[in-house]
Amino acid sequence: MKKYSLIILFVFALLPSCMEEPIVEPNTNMGNFESLWRIIDTKYCYLDYKKINWDSIHTAYKAKVTESADDLTFFDLMGTMLGELKDGHVNLYSDFDRSRYWKWYTDYPANFNIDLIRSARYLGENYKIANGLSYEKIDNGRVGYIYLGSFSNGFNDANIVSAMTYFKDCKGLIIDVRDNSGGSLDYSKQLASCFFKEEKVTGYIKHKIGNGHTDFSKALEVKTPANKNIQYQRQVVVLTNRMSFSATNDFVNRMKQAPNALIVGDKTGGGGGLPLSSEIPNGWLVRFSSSPMYDSNMQEIEWGINPDVLVSLSPFDQANGIDTIIERAIKLIK
Amino acid sequence: MKKYFIYIFTILSAFATAQTTNEQKYLLTSASNTLGYSIIDFVDPYLSPLTYSGSGVGYDFQSQRFLSVENTRISKFQKLSLLAGKGFNPPHTASMSFFGVNYGWGMRYHLKPMSKLRVQLGGLWDIDFMFKYLARNVNNPVNVDLGTNLNAFGSATYDISLFRKEMKLKLDMKSPILGCMFVPYSGASYYEMFGLGNLDNVFHFSSLHNKRGLDANLMLEIPLRRSLWRVGLGYETMKWSANDLVFKRNNLSIKVASVFDFATFAGRKKRAPNNFISPNE
Repeated sequence: MKKYSLIILFVFALLPSCMEEPIVEPNTNMGNFESLWRIIDTKYCYLDYKKINWDSIHTAYKAKVTESADDLTFFDLMGTMLGELKDGHVNLYSDFDRSRYWKWYTDYPANFNIDLIRSARYLGENYKIANGLSYEKIDNGRVGYIYLGSFSNGFNDANIVSAMTYFKDCKGLIIDVRDNSGGSLDYSKQLASCFFKEEKVTGYIKHKIGNGHTDFSKALEVKTPANKNIQYQRQVVVLTNRMSFSATNDFVNRMKQAPNALIVGDKTGGGGGLPLSSEIPNGWLVRFSSSPMYDSNMQEIEWGINPDVLVSLSPFDQANGIDTIIERAIKLIK
Repeated sequence: MKKYFIYIFTILSAFATAQTTNEQKYLLTSASNTLGYSIIDFVDPYLSPLTYSGSGVGYDFQSQRFLSVENTRISKFQKLSLLAGKGFNPPHTASMSFFGVNYGWGMRYHLKPMSKLRVQLGGLWDIDFMFKYLARNVNNPVNVDLGTNLNAFGSATYDISLFRKEMKLKLDMKSPILGCMFVPYSGASYYEMFGLGNLDNVFHFSSLHNKRGLDANLMLEIPLRRSLWRVGLGYETMKWSANDLVFKRNNLSIKVASVFDFATFAGRKKRAPNNFISPNE
């Protein structure tokens, strides 16, 4: 009996080794740096795609880390390190600041002026608002126009049906998602589904399954279904600019496959990686792209999606109260 | 006269014996309601690699009943536990709320190795669910622990006399042996799992190689006037691992329980005897 008890105790003593816990770095500047670097090294999904030598970045930034640096200085250093990823989905959050990379749109023309949109030529003053959708007839009632500034502002099928009913005599529809930096993928899918007659594979998604830079799951089909309540059959034009990012990028990617849709404007800002979050020992939160998304041809959409018709906002038109991109869309619908 | 007296006494004694042996027996269900206050620390690497520490309140309902009047060696047991609370990361920059439910059903064999000691050994099948919410993680604010286990389950009760009262010291323990659990990849979003239906490799067989723990309670049962109470400590430690993620949960709690016995007749073939009065007539 004593012998068996010893064997059982021995087995239980060995069992903890089967579950090796990850190293938790100390809450020092160096410990926080190592922790942040490792989170990106093991969980960020675009290191190889963007050809980033993350080991070199470790060497370069480790040399700059000092224990004497105060929180602000250390935060800026870590924010700069994350900036090397050139990803709008990567942020470091502290109680006093949020690091960000915004060059995905600040380095490009805006191609959007909200004052033009609100002028009498387009939305005017008496436009309709149905949850996140702002809409009105333009071009003397011949074209329906919906402005959607965020996929975080909810809407439902009833809102879309209301807008479509209001546009029933219009020849086509413009959906303006310029300066829409994203939100919920569910809303992106819901709106896109109104323009499909049948379910279609519109993209793919993968996720990390290991710590290696290339450890990804098999690609999973992302489908856009046909909406049960609304299936808009006339021409639809989606307006984009560089600030069309993240969930908006996903919406544009879906609409690329819609039967009567055209994408008009500038290339989208990208943001093709679904972000997740983690923490470092001092309690700062880091957000990073975790699951890469692809178009229907398995091409990355992290750097943005090209429009079918490239149009820029002309300064001359702008000065005359005209939105060049909307006007081009109107012509395409006619 | 003395002779008649002995006859009458003998006959009455015979009746008394007959009454005892022929009396209908009914099973009692022994149940308890327990409230507890817990100090908890836990690690959920899907949400954060840091250890969150905090406190919570819990409620347990337990009931136990022998299988039949004829078989008083084996009892069936069921337990429902609820736990809710909040934990903070070490620098106190974020908090994680949690809500857990555990339901278990099992059977135990009753032994009496010593006059004052009773031991019950058996198995318990349970379903364990815990919802965790870290609001700061905008894109992945939620993770759930979901698992079902077959547990080794035992208890020991020792009768003691303290302060002129007959008390019982009870120790019960359970430990998961095998089961199934839900653990996603750290990089897989709930959008992908439940929005797109990709549940590849999120359900795992669990056994001692990847899930280990102990849930123990040491309680003192005290009769207090016409009621019966238990006070004591509970300790749970659990560690499980899959998809390169190691989860931990430690819970130390102080508990107070009210114990009561009841009998059920409604919906059963055997009706309640006339001396049991029910308001449901």
